[in-house]
Amino acid sequence: MSVIIGCRGVEKIYRQGAVEVPALRGVDLDIVAGDFATLSGPSGSGKTTLLSLMGGLDRPTAGEITVDGHALSGMDNDRLADLRLRKIGFVFQTYSLVPVLSAIENVEFILRLLGAPRGEREARAREVLAQVGLAGLEARRPSRLSGGQQQRVAVARALATRPAIVLADEPTANLDSANAEDLIALMADLNRASGVTFLIATHDARVIAHSRRRIEMVDGRITADEGQGAPVAA
Amino acid sequence: MSPERGHPARRPAAGGPGLRPVAAISLLGPIAWRNLWRNPRRTGITLAVVAIGVWSILTFDVMLKAWAVNSRQEALRLLTGEGQIHAAGYLDDPGVGHRTPAPAGDLLAVLDGPMVSAWAPRVRVPAIIRSEYRTRPVTLLGVSPTAEHAVSDLPSQILAGRYLVSPADSGVVIGADLAVRLKTRLGKRVIVMAQGADGRLAERGFVIVGLFGNTRGAQDEFVFTGLRPAQAMLGVGGDLSETSLDVAPKVKPDVAVAALRRAAPGLDVQPWTALSPLAYTMETISGAYIGVWLAVVFVLMAIGIVNTQLMAVFERTREFGLLQALGLRPGMIVLLVMLESTLLIGLGVVAGVVLMVATLAPFAGGIDMSAFAAAAELAGGGGRLYPVLAPVDAVTLSLIVWVLGVAATLWPARTAARAAPVVALNTL
Repeated sequence: MSVIIGCRGVEKIYRQGAVEVPALRGVDLDIVAGDFATLSGPSGSGKTTLLSLMGGLDRPTAGEITVDGHALSGMDNDRLADLRLRKIGFVFQTYSLVPVLSAIENVEFILRLLGAPRGEREARAREVLAQVGLAGLEARRPSRLSGGQQQRVAVARALATRPAIVLADEPTANLDSANAEDLIALMADLNRASGVTFLIATHDARVIAHSRRRIEMVDGRITADEGQGAPVAA
Repeated sequence: MSPERGHPARRPAAGGPGLRPVAAISLLGPIAWRNLWRNPRRTGITLAVVAIGVWSILTFDVMLKAWAVNSRQEALRLLTGEGQIHAAGYLDDPGVGHRTPAPAGDLLAVLDGPMVSAWAPRVRVPAIIRSEYRTRPVTLLGVSPTAEHAVSDLPSQILAGRYLVSPADSGVVIGADLAVRLKTRLGKRVIVMAQGADGRLAERGFVIVGLFGNTRGAQDEFVFTGLRPAQAMLGVGGDLSETSLDVAPKVKPDVAVAALRRAAPGLDVQPWTALSPLAYTMETISGAYIGVWLAVVFVLMAIGIVNTQLMAVFERTREFGLLQALGLRPGMIVLLVMLESTLLIGLGVVAGVVLMVATLAPFAGGIDMSAFAAAAELAGGGGRLYPVLAPVDAVTLSLIVWVLGVAATLWPARTAARAAPVVALNTL
């Protein structure tokens, strides 16, 4: 099984004035192709910090992270941006759509950054929007979509570039139960049907229940990693 | 969906993730445009700041230039012309002793040539005018009326009676105000006295045939009669005190003056810039005033623009972080904010120019300055101002404001680009 994201001895220390607050204390972790994994733990356990480091959104204080074989250390901001664009799809806690773009434009935006031709990107955007159940709502701006629909657009956007992995940070936190269930089921289906690798930081027991691999963190350390090695075939 | 990772349209990362500048602008331009209208009130305020700033700069430019043109016209079309020829020393001692022969030879050839559009010979000496009741110091001018019409507006400013009809006309034309001061009137006789060529007092009686208007100073100072009666009275034969001239269109006064100096090396040939320094100063400093005003307005405008753009950027920190998290390079964030500024300031500039054109429309016939006649006269102006917005000025000043305004937003743009992508994970 190929390693999509690898962490070796990853540490992160935040400085608040003269005080050092360790958020991660030497994390070793591999996410492999086809994983549908959750990263859970109490607030302050370091799961969001680990997700941000894996996604190249922040830099570790120590340790090494690789994404699809590329070491993040030493990459400048532009190369990190390119890597995020090419390799990683993000789904954030808040819906995080560009408010002045319609659903399809939000999805196409990423594809345009990649230089995809108009016809190809439009077809791909419609395809992924249909996959997340938003066919017919392509022209709606985020303000005219429900929270659940906005989060589906975010998932569609994350999938549009066929990334190596989708990193999701508390994707159900702002959804009601029904929408949360739908979103979890959607992501699980996408994982099963297409082999898309998911790593989801969450408190939500329903999300954790759907995952095949459950990683738990406490005080910046991984304290449990269940289901490792049992991903859907990629 | 293909499980293969990586979109088939992906391009090499060199110079950005597959985007050339034109493609980047076409991607971000519509977003920038829509972003402008996310906060219509703030956009409206910024637009108003830019529009009023541009309007005020253009207003200042138009009014100063109108004033400078008016001032120049008032000065040059009174008697000065665009150049004058005198005997050496006349300008320091403008008496009958400093005179020139009538133009002839090379000088006449240049005066009648293509560089000079019109010229007028004059006798011009200090004199005393006396009525039955009063005596006033004046300047006596003996003129050739037809030639004078071509270089001066005074012949057309007759309020009563007539102007002189020929160089031999022995009537006298005086200012209407001077007539009041002398307690005389049209048709009455006055005595004019001046030093003659022989050093003795020369005097002659003239009948007032016309009264002219113009500024109070001109009305009090100038008294006109025919060239020949003046020459005869002073005993100067066919000699002149000065020759006033206008330069042909598209010929620079300095070029014509240089040609005249070569043609008459013994004479004192001066351009209007030396003869009427107030008008020249008005014209030259107007450019400096415009520059200063441009700087003042721009600084105020820039503070407003930068302030509002910074506010907008700080409000959107998470959005910029999100865009970076999705793969937008920091340079693209700078481009996005700069595009927003370019559109915003561009709209403001266009609105300012439109406002200026609308402001000028009611004044197409000029602005009557008679209510400010005394002040206008002191500053060398008067009559009517004709404010005209020169397209080249509108374009140049607008471009300066536009470019500098956009440059001022580099700071907010760079601030936006520094938004860490990790803030996309923050919920607040």
